[in-house]
Amino acid sequence: MDTASETAQVRVEGVWKVFGRKPGEAREMAEAGATREEIQTATGSVVAVRDVTFHVDAGETFVVMGLSGSGKSTLIRCVSHLVAPTEGRVELCGTELTRADHATLRNLRRQKMAMVFQHFGLFPHRKVVDNVAYGLEVQGVDRQDRQDRARELLDTVGLEGWGDHYPQQLSGGMQQRVGLARALAVDPEVLFFDEPFSALDPLIRRDMQDELIDLQMKLQRTLVFITHDFAEALKLADRIAIMNDGAFVQVGTPVEILTSPADDYVRAFTQDAPVAKVLQACSLMRPLDGTDIDPGWPQVSSTTPLETALPHLLGSTSPVVVCDEDSTPVGLLHGDDVAGVISENRP
Amino acid sequence: MTVVEEARRTANGLRTASDSRLARFILAIGTIVVLILVFRLSTNFGVFPESWDVGLADPIDRARRWLISNQTSHWLYTVFLNPITDAIDWGIRRLESILKWFPWYSYPPITGVGLWWTRGRVAGVLGLASVSLIGIIDLWEESFATLALMGVSVLISMIIGIPLGIAAWRSDAVAKVVRPTLDAMQTMPGFVYLIPFVLLFGVGRVPALISTVIFALAPVVRLTEVGLRTVPQVTVEASEMFGATERQTLRLVRLPQARPAIFAGMNQTTMLAMSMVVIAAFIGAGGLGQVVLRAMQSIEVGKASEAGIAIVIMAIILDRFSTGIATADPGHDALALRWLAVAVTVVAVVGGLLGHNEFPESLNWQFAPYVDDATDWARYNLYDIGGSGIGTGPFSDFVTLRFVTPLRELLSSDIPWPAMIGIGVVLGLWARGIRLAVGIGAALFAIGFLGMWALSMDTLAQTIVAVAITLIIGVPVGIMTSHNDLLRTALKPVLDFFQTIPSFVLLVPVITLFHVGRIPGIIASVIYALPAAVHYTDLGLRRVPAEVHEAAESFGATRGQRLRRVEMPLAAPELMVAVNQVIMLILAMVVIAGLVGGGGLGLEAVRGLRRSDAVGRGFEAGIAIVLLASILDRLTRAIADRLRPPAAV
Repeated sequence: MDTASETAQVRVEGVWKVFGRKPGEAREMAEAGATREEIQTATGSVVAVRDVTFHVDAGETFVVMGLSGSGKSTLIRCVSHLVAPTEGRVELCGTELTRADHATLRNLRRQKMAMVFQHFGLFPHRKVVDNVAYGLEVQGVDRQDRQDRARELLDTVGLEGWGDHYPQQLSGGMQQRVGLARALAVDPEVLFFDEPFSALDPLIRRDMQDELIDLQMKLQRTLVFITHDFAEALKLADRIAIMNDGAFVQVGTPVEILTSPADDYVRAFTQDAPVAKVLQACSLMRPLDGTDIDPGWPQVSSTTPLETALPHLLGSTSPVVVCDEDSTPVGLLHGDDVAGVISENRP
Repeated sequence: MTVVEEARRTANGLRTASDSRLARFILAIGTIVVLILVFRLSTNFGVFPESWDVGLADPIDRARRWLISNQTSHWLYTVFLNPITDAIDWGIRRLESILKWFPWYSYPPITGVGLWWTRGRVAGVLGLASVSLIGIIDLWEESFATLALMGVSVLISMIIGIPLGIAAWRSDAVAKVVRPTLDAMQTMPGFVYLIPFVLLFGVGRVPALISTVIFALAPVVRLTEVGLRTVPQVTVEASEMFGATERQTLRLVRLPQARPAIFAGMNQTTMLAMSMVVIAAFIGAGGLGQVVLRAMQSIEVGKASEAGIAIVIMAIILDRFSTGIATADPGHDALALRWLAVAVTVVAVVGGLLGHNEFPESLNWQFAPYVDDATDWARYNLYDIGGSGIGTGPFSDFVTLRFVTPLRELLSSDIPWPAMIGIGVVLGLWARGIRLAVGIGAALFAIGFLGMWALSMDTLAQTIVAVAITLIIGVPVGIMTSHNDLLRTALKPVLDFFQTIPSFVLLVPVITLFHVGRIPGIIASVIYALPAAVHYTDLGLRRVPAEVHEAAESFGATRGQRLRRVEMPLAAPELMVAVNQVIMLILAMVVIAGLVGGGGLGLEAVRGLRRSDAVGRGFEAGIAIVLLASILDRLTRAIADRLRPPAAV
């Protein structure tokens, strides 16, 4: 399913997590194909994560999408080692977490990773600025330096002037900005997001998603993002893993998932997905292959959503020319292909 | 179809459950009646046979004599106990001398500023005035003695309690030992803690302090543990994710978030310590408690009232301050307060250097004579108003002759002792099961073997009468407050006030009206336990969900029907908790009332503390009190559990 590349910053191999007394038995049953309910009635144990393998490259945004109870929250805790996996290997920035001692793990957490939580996980007894500075305080950075850095990051996330408030005085969206600033303050290479926006109102959620995309353009960190919202996954992800009943059902780019869902479970998600909004011209274009471009053909940039390209295609048999940032043609978008993708995704 | 069947089945299940409950209850009552009849008719059992007394008193008295004569030589003292004694004594003296170094006129403003800061301006002014009053009625010295003992007790309680709470939170093994121990410690009347420490250390401030610490320790331990347990897991995860060590997480994340709970524990611990430090006057702790005790023994009601008021003032100030400190927000007054604090500090230090320590006698004014006059007047005029047979005297006689004495006779001799034990066992069986039944039986036998049967039944009779009166008054009041927010708001400060007062002090106003005997003890117990009865009744009824009210109303139930058929049964477990609390409070008070002629176990325990030749008997009485308290506590709690509706499946 997954071929680990050289640049992978997170490598997860054959990770299992079983809660309960009889992990061995539960695992055997799971391997024999039993469902979670069957295993729980038989052994009293819960198989939260079953045999998950994936890698995330440096600078990549990897989204794990699953409904509640699918094991995604446990998975991210196994990867960040807040919960020790029952079996399997987790490697982060070249260090194997599953074998690391406390000190190594601690140092890795201090320097390489950070996490943003679903219910923010802010410290109610600390001012916003001290919340953001927490990671640095734990590392032993002195007060003035860490405060300066914290205020700098509050500016970055658009919260200048809020440093001396307490978290509970802020709105939900602002609180999650604090959470984001706190995670960024330690300058991590890998960022974990555990459903960070699911507790927010839809409009604020959209703003936060856009801002995260902007930030990621600038910072180019490795992100592991958990969500139950398929649209959010499509919007943010370089690659998506669909999770069900503790296991990965499909891993692929948003286009791959939309255009060739692995099974009915994945297809059920894609049916309601706003395909024309999510897919961009570049993902459906065909290579030029030396085709002569008619100057009369309409042109769109490669990041244009299909939705915007659609009017050019309707009522015309000619393709649309897709150009890169320098307006150099890189491919052609054909009406048939677009119609195929969109209609395929209709019930 | 299936739904109907299911509903029918559930209804049947419920009916059989309640049927079997009723059956068990009738069976229990029946057994008790049979037991009494069999033993009454077939034999001449009455009081527990005296010849069965195992005589624990003599060996204890011997041990006491041995301890006294070896106090200077034995290693137990030279290596272990004496250093502890010396260190504690040094601490108390040191604190007292520091407190006394500051000039008298610094204390009212210090209190004022402190209360203004934590509670607002009105509290500040009241604090200033009431501290001055303590000086004016010439109890300055005694107050410092009490305050020093309090300070060291609370400090030691914190030093032991907070780490113990942390340990109990961290390790389930520790929690398994600590929690039941604390539960047991809180069940016992504080008074009985004094007895073993007198045995070991003799009289004085050190045994007083040790028993105070033990008595007051529970809340701070428990609330530290609870506070740490309720820290949101996600904040702990966040801290861990930043690579914090366990110690960093504890210091920076867990403890700060547990702070409100720990403060609440400190407040409760302080109030328990206050009530114990006062009672510890029995073993020569000195201070304000001593003044009350002496005055009560010589029926100087005026003097006792003065000291009582000083104690109440101190208790209320400590309570308000320690509850306010966690949430202190001086707001706009912050700047003014800062300057005031600086000014007061300067005055205190300068005055201290100049040595204005004594509260000036020229400011003294005693209200004791007026209280004495009022007491005399009350005694002559209210005892038997106009010879009409109405008054405090006839009332006392009525309650004593009609209720207390007959009930005592009934329990101690009319019901044969084997039947009494049988009743205890049957109740235990009915309420919980075989283990409780065996425990109750064993405890009752032990009381008999200690030679404390008659005295215990006397105390039990007083307790039952007091509990009955408390519930007759308290439950209806609780029902009223639960339906009437206005009444509740109006009553709250009154109830809070009575709960803040150390139990011992409540005896003072009562003896002004009722002189000595069993009745003042019973009345003081009722006053002491009433707030709990009202509070828990109110709480229980308020917990009944609003939908249930609405449902009952939609069927056209009258208010009375609603109360009887719906609310009371649903609130029954809480009401039983109220009964439990009331019993425990009343038992503690009835025991203390031994001092004012309450009789029973309390009198024996008081004598044991005050006379060195009666320590053995006192010790036996103490054990009997503990046994009685445990029986009543377990039994009422088991009944509360029994009344709880079956848990959801």
